[in-house]
Amino acid sequence: MKTAREMGLIGCRRCTRVSPAGTEICPRCGGKVQSRDPMSLQKVMAWWVLGVACYIPGNLYPMLETKTLVSSQSNTIIGGAVDLALHGAWGVAIIILIASAVIPVAKFVIILGLVIGVRNGPQISDGLRQRLYEIVEYIGRWSMIDVFVVAVLSALVQLQTLVNISPGPASIFFALSVIFTMISAQSFDSRLIWDTGKTPKPDLPPEPMAHKERSA
Amino acid sequence: MTHDTQTPPPPPVKPAGSSPFRRLSAVWIIPAIALIAVVGVAVSTYLDRGPLIEIAFDNASGISAGSTELHYRDVTVGMVEKIGFTNGLDRVLVSVRLNKDVADFVDADAKFFVVRPQVTAQGVSGLDTVLSGVFIEGLWDSEPGGLQTEFDGLTDAPLERLNQKGLLLTLRAAGKASLTEGAPVIYQGITVGQIGKTSISEDGTTSEAQAIIFEPHDRLIDSATRFWDTSGFSFTLGPGGAALDFSSIASLISGGVTFATMVSGGVPLEQGAVMSIYPDEASARAAVFSGDEGKTLTLSAVFEENIAGLAVDAPVEMAGLKIGRVSALNGLVDPETFGDNRVRLVATLSIRPALLGLEGEKDDAAAMEFLAARVQDGLRARLATTSILTGGLKVELTEVPDAAPARIEPMAEGGARIPTTASEISDVSATAEGVFNRINNLPVEEIMNQAIDLLGNVNALITSEGVRNAPETLNSLMADARDVIASDDIKALPGQLSGVIDQLGTLIDGFNSQELASRLGKALDDAAEAAGGVNAAVEGVPDLVARINAVAANVEEVAIDKMADQMTELLATVDSYLNQSSTRELPASLNTSLTELSAVLTQLREAGVVETAKNTLNSASNAADTIADASADLPRLIEQARQVLARAGTTIEGYQANNGLGRDARDTLREVQRAAQAVSSLARAIERNPNSLLTGK
Repeated sequence: MKTAREMGLIGCRRCTRVSPAGTEICPRCGGKVQSRDPMSLQKVMAWWVLGVACYIPGNLYPMLETKTLVSSQSNTIIGGAVDLALHGAWGVAIIILIASAVIPVAKFVIILGLVIGVRNGPQISDGLRQRLYEIVEYIGRWSMIDVFVVAVLSALVQLQTLVNISPGPASIFFALSVIFTMISAQSFDSRLIWDTGKTPKPDLPPEPMAHKERSA
Repeated sequence: MTHDTQTPPPPPVKPAGSSPFRRLSAVWIIPAIALIAVVGVAVSTYLDRGPLIEIAFDNASGISAGSTELHYRDVTVGMVEKIGFTNGLDRVLVSVRLNKDVADFVDADAKFFVVRPQVTAQGVSGLDTVLSGVFIEGLWDSEPGGLQTEFDGLTDAPLERLNQKGLLLTLRAAGKASLTEGAPVIYQGITVGQIGKTSISEDGTTSEAQAIIFEPHDRLIDSATRFWDTSGFSFTLGPGGAALDFSSIASLISGGVTFATMVSGGVPLEQGAVMSIYPDEASARAAVFSGDEGKTLTLSAVFEENIAGLAVDAPVEMAGLKIGRVSALNGLVDPETFGDNRVRLVATLSIRPALLGLEGEKDDAAAMEFLAARVQDGLRARLATTSILTGGLKVELTEVPDAAPARIEPMAEGGARIPTTASEISDVSATAEGVFNRINNLPVEEIMNQAIDLLGNVNALITSEGVRNAPETLNSLMADARDVIASDDIKALPGQLSGVIDQLGTLIDGFNSQELASRLGKALDDAAEAAGGVNAAVEGVPDLVARINAVAANVEEVAIDKMADQMTELLATVDSYLNQSSTRELPASLNTSLTELSAVLTQLREAGVVETAKNTLNSASNAADTIADASADLPRLIEQARQVLARAGTTIEGYQANNGLGRDARDTLREVQRAAQAVSSLARAIERNPNSLLTGK
């Protein structure tokens, strides 16, 4: 199987018109065309770092602050899930754990793995990498479910001194983390998955050159 | 070649930029900005972070790190960061992160305490902490004084917690006054202050409490102010009805204190002055005038004897002057000092230097110096009896001659000990016992028997025939006299002057021949003499009384054993007086006189002078008899007799015409009058009080 790039072609990502390699402006829609985004991995990593950085306080600070007449309670995401589990609500606890802990961490790992695969050569097949990339793209938005729950609860349960639920500082960080991770995933140029180096690369400037220089 | 023709033309080559930034994505700016923001926030937080102070509490009940706040005027100014222990685990060390803006005010005089919910009789406090949990409250003034980082937390809220300034006092309970923590200080029904934590004074003898009088009421307090306890209630039942008195429900339940400035001229008090609380208003008022001023000097006295009767508040006297009181009593076992394990009585003496009458400084140091000097001269404390009857004891400071040398010794547990000497109680009780024994041994029964005999004699004398007959005889005498005087014949005399003159002439001759006039006069003299004797006898009674008084005085001088003898002697004297022949003959001689008088009148009648008047006298005699029946009417009778005699005198004056008979008769009648008066006074005296012979009154 040959990639378009190996065949000396370049596709426009806006109108999907195929142009010969080296074309910079799409003759049809006038958009800028690139065979590969040379900054893709940088963008991914930049957003990835931000996402991870926000994820840490998002788990350390309380997500939800519940104030009732006699008590005040604040829980982190994991703490809340553990609390629920201890109270017997295993189903809900597992959902929260998956949505708030497993999925974001998996996303970080997968994105990092994809980047490493592109730069250092893949350890797994290209098809599986593409599948992983699609999964990350798809499920990234579902991580926001926790933030939505907090937002809805905070909006609904406002009974002043009786019961009052307000979002904790973690909710902002967690939402930012999800957003940054999504941007990070979207910044990944999935075409790079196929540049595995197994097939000989055409002598085409400048992207491979730039790629080579970076990796060197 | 088709392959070549299909190959697109080579694209224009655009050389890569030499700048390394060309190969660096602009998106890195975003993490860089985030990093800068984080670092900036961290740095600014660190720079804005206040200092950490450490407060030591006895326990950390309710305090939790990260959630317990530090409040100042109910504003959160800090947060507990850590809870640990001091070295040795004896206290809890609470680390509090202060807000930077208040840090400078938390200086050495800052106070910290934990606010917990409290329900007392004065109300509920700290209710907000029920829901929110406890918090630490800090108190400091508004003068920045440099940060201190180590504090000792208070166990209870201090009095100035309400941030109300005022006068801080130390109230010391006197006597039975009670101090209740948190009780209000009430003035005219308004709460003007509060009593703080109560404690026992250092010497362990009284209870003390901090109290605050809030501004502006603190101007009501000066050195002449007296405090007293208004707790509880008083119930009085008097002529005005029953009265139940209490000042407020709160003070009824939990006590309260009020005050009044009794006298003017007090000087303003300094912060922390010590004032006494009296049990009630009366004692507070009394204390104003009892010189209850100034500090007291506290001495201890250890008495060897174990004698009951010494009580708290018993007086401490020196040379008969009260100079203080006993403020506490304890037992003392001190084998090291005394060599045995016996319990000894320790009295704590509270001596008021002001009462010692020292010149110049009247403080406790001067009094101590004075007493120390006196102790070297032999001044010792001893127990003495206040009252023989109640057995109450007092402490007396007295000079003991040839006393073993001693001095006021300071005690290990504070205070000083004044040397003591043997008590005076044993002597006094022995004396009292002796007195009671001697009173017991008095021959009271003999005296009573003799007194009964005496009264029997007196009764016999009074009820004797002679005395009883005396009035009757007198009555008949008077009746006779009235008969003579009031007879129609005499009244008709003026009309029959010439005849009467003749008859009188004959009568006078008869008189002259029989010497009747002189006999009559003699008889009357006898009567007067007898009466005089009675009077003299009566006059002698006051001497008896004087002697009785002397005996009584002797009794008072505890010469009681002589009293019986003197009493016996006195009774014997009285008895012998009554047994005297002269006394017994008194009525007899009176009777004789009256009989003689009667004889004279009889002779007069027999002489025929007033024979015709006899009927008239008889009829008057009936009236006199009826009066005589009531022996109590004797004085009135005598009064009538005097009137009669007066009339007789008037009548006889009519005969004054150079006639010997008229003159003689008038003299005679005057004698009769005098005799009658003397008898009258005797009879009156006897009648008024038969005991008058004894009492002389």
